[in-house]
Amino acid sequence: MKRFFEWMRRYPAFVGFIGIVVVFSLLSDRFFTISNFLNVLRQVSIQAIIAFGMTIVIISGGIDLSVGSVFAISAAVLASILKTGNIFLAILAGIAVGGAFGLFNGFVIAKGKIQPFIVTLATMAIARSFTLVYMQGMPITGFSRTFRFIGRGSIGGIPVPVLIMFGMFLLTWYILSKTKLGLYAYSIGGNEEATRLSGVNVDMYKMMIYTLSGTFSAVSAIVLTARLNSAQPIFGQNYELDAIAAVVLGGASLSGGKGTVVGTLFGALIMGIINNGLNLLNVSPFYQQAVKGAVILAAVLLERE
Amino acid sequence: MLLKMEKITKRFPGVLALDNVDFDLREGEIHALVGENGAGKSTLIKILGGVHQPDGGRIILNGQEVHFSSPVDSQKAGISVIHQELNLAENLSVAHNIFLGREKGSWWNIDHKRMRKEAEEILKRLSFNLNPSAVVRELNVSEKQLVAIAKALTLNARIIVMDEPTATITEHEVERLFSIMKDLKKNGVSIIFISHRLDEIFSVADRVTVLRDGKKVASGLVEDFTKDELVRLMVGRSITDMYPKYNVPKDEVIFEVEGLEVPGFVKDVTFNVKRGEIFGVAGLVGCGKSELALGLFGAVKSYFKKMKLFDAEVKEIKNPMDALKLGIVMIPEDRKKMGLILDLDIVKNIATANSNLVAKLVNISWRKAKSLSNEAIKKFSIKASSIKQLTKNLSGGNQQKVVLAKYLFREPRLVILVEPTRGIDVGAKVEVYHLINDLANRGTGVIFISSELPEIVSLCDRVLVMHRGRQITILEGNEITQENILRAATGVEVA
Repeated sequence: MKRFFEWMRRYPAFVGFIGIVVVFSLLSDRFFTISNFLNVLRQVSIQAIIAFGMTIVIISGGIDLSVGSVFAISAAVLASILKTGNIFLAILAGIAVGGAFGLFNGFVIAKGKIQPFIVTLATMAIARSFTLVYMQGMPITGFSRTFRFIGRGSIGGIPVPVLIMFGMFLLTWYILSKTKLGLYAYSIGGNEEATRLSGVNVDMYKMMIYTLSGTFSAVSAIVLTARLNSAQPIFGQNYELDAIAAVVLGGASLSGGKGTVVGTLFGALIMGIINNGLNLLNVSPFYQQAVKGAVILAAVLLERE
Repeated sequence: MLLKMEKITKRFPGVLALDNVDFDLREGEIHALVGENGAGKSTLIKILGGVHQPDGGRIILNGQEVHFSSPVDSQKAGISVIHQELNLAENLSVAHNIFLGREKGSWWNIDHKRMRKEAEEILKRLSFNLNPSAVVRELNVSEKQLVAIAKALTLNARIIVMDEPTATITEHEVERLFSIMKDLKKNGVSIIFISHRLDEIFSVADRVTVLRDGKKVASGLVEDFTKDELVRLMVGRSITDMYPKYNVPKDEVIFEVEGLEVPGFVKDVTFNVKRGEIFGVAGLVGCGKSELALGLFGAVKSYFKKMKLFDAEVKEIKNPMDALKLGIVMIPEDRKKMGLILDLDIVKNIATANSNLVAKLVNISWRKAKSLSNEAIKKFSIKASSIKQLTKNLSGGNQQKVVLAKYLFREPRLVILVEPTRGIDVGAKVEVYHLINDLANRGTGVIFISSELPEIVSLCDRVLVMHRGRQITILEGNEITQENILRAATGVEVA
């Protein structure tokens, strides 16, 4: 029991998650059903995958504002190659584009010694512009059934996007808890100078961290493109804000050194459930943003030490 | 009696930080408060400063019982605490810092000119040689100290608490600080002075109170104590040898550098280190000795004409990774800023610096990291609740031991220690000295950089003295005296 409370203290997002589930279950009888949960999970998967990558970036003391735009350009490249046929190549290219933009971010941040906020703000604009040029402002639609399976299919009753989300969750968890990259993310975020003086190749690891973030955006873009059967130049707008919100709700500190991917998962779920619950309750979408904002504020106020 | 603290008791979860402690302060006296880290000094000061509220006991100021529920209350009562961290607004000017929170003019139109003028007058009256328009960030530590004192005095403080004001400044600057303290005393200001350096207590304080494990163990006039007695009271046992020295220097040169340059800081330094010897580097703050260490470690850009480590020519050291590959480690000077990742536990701090030992390529073996950390705790007698304890919750001495542990696992060939005993208690200091001797005897090259002259004089076989980035002299044997070092360090020619 004591350990349970300790765990709850460590993952305040979990407590918030339970609270919100209880509230909506009481308010709506359509909420607490398996099909609705799967629905929420599927909706959340897009943002959650981006947020997992963002978690590593934020733990390392950085931020990645470019995830939404990188999402869009990855989707654009993916979609255009899909049109010529080879799914495998298209997915690979989409991921490569995401990774390349991430690497570019990491390179400028590490070698140019410029604040991540500024660098990724610039990349956000550049990637968006490239997307518009590349797509000529027009959506690309209509893909094969095989590809659409990624977004619309399900295996054993569980939607494929949800499976992909859990896969990415496990991958992030593994990276953060078992690998050097994960340890160094915490170290760099906690004290970059001390980490450098410990003989860690800080620049290289920063590049890897931002590359991961770009890659995660691309994976998410694949899922959404498959689900909508379409890639659009305005894909991913404001996704960076949703991702940051999920990470912060999950208990990470924007000053770095703290955070868990478990927290981020529940952070993303909280955001998703609020959307879903308010829809079920027929609350006007005009109010929904305000509710989300209030929840974020309340959460960070409660998590203060 | 200006201030009386009676039977102060303070409990924190799991510890009795203060147990019925009495403390008093007369008008115009300097009262030293000593004790090892964790003895309760800071807690007592925080209660006086209104940061903590006592669980028992009372505070009587000017014959009246007072209750401080916040630092503002205490400040209003004329008590000013100068913390070790100084708490200055680094980006503001000296004048703005002095008047921070009490700006001249109105809120919609701050009178910058008047503040500068008044600050200038105050500084002149104190004969502090500071430019009121200078930005605090650009001052050195002792100058920042002066800003904090000036600020305290303009708050009309009658009691000033100085928490280890000398920990980060050099001997020379300490003397200036002491003469300022004596002037303050003459003007009726009372000072509570916390220091780990006993010499200083004897040269400046009137009375001394010793705390150990949250209890007051002694109090009285400084004259009535000897240094050894104070140490015994603080530690609870007698330390027979404050500066153990048993290293055996040999003739074999194991490290040499010629024409070392760190642009902007160090120019043309040449020296060698012999097997078994403790090689010291001394000088005032800002003389370049810290940068010399950073340069040798590759943490800042450096050049040299020639470098040899155990007969192998070293071409260049571009970054700490290069240095570590060669077997050169540096124990950095500021353990909080450069040594530790405070929000991480002992295991993760040690793993970060020793990934070659705990990780193959990508995966970390936490089992190995834990066993390594347990080994470190034993070997360096680190006092921690477990290896999972966050390093920010360790005492200064134990933090320093973690820093030493994380670097010494690599079995280095050359160790550069920069101020390794700064701000740690007597017991821990002696342990560090033992470690330095052991390193030297094991055949590791030892470069010992310190601003504390007594330890340099007592431990080193040779001492390189720097002044304004240049090497003035290398003292040897009988030449190594505080006087000679100071003369060289201040640029006075040495015979």
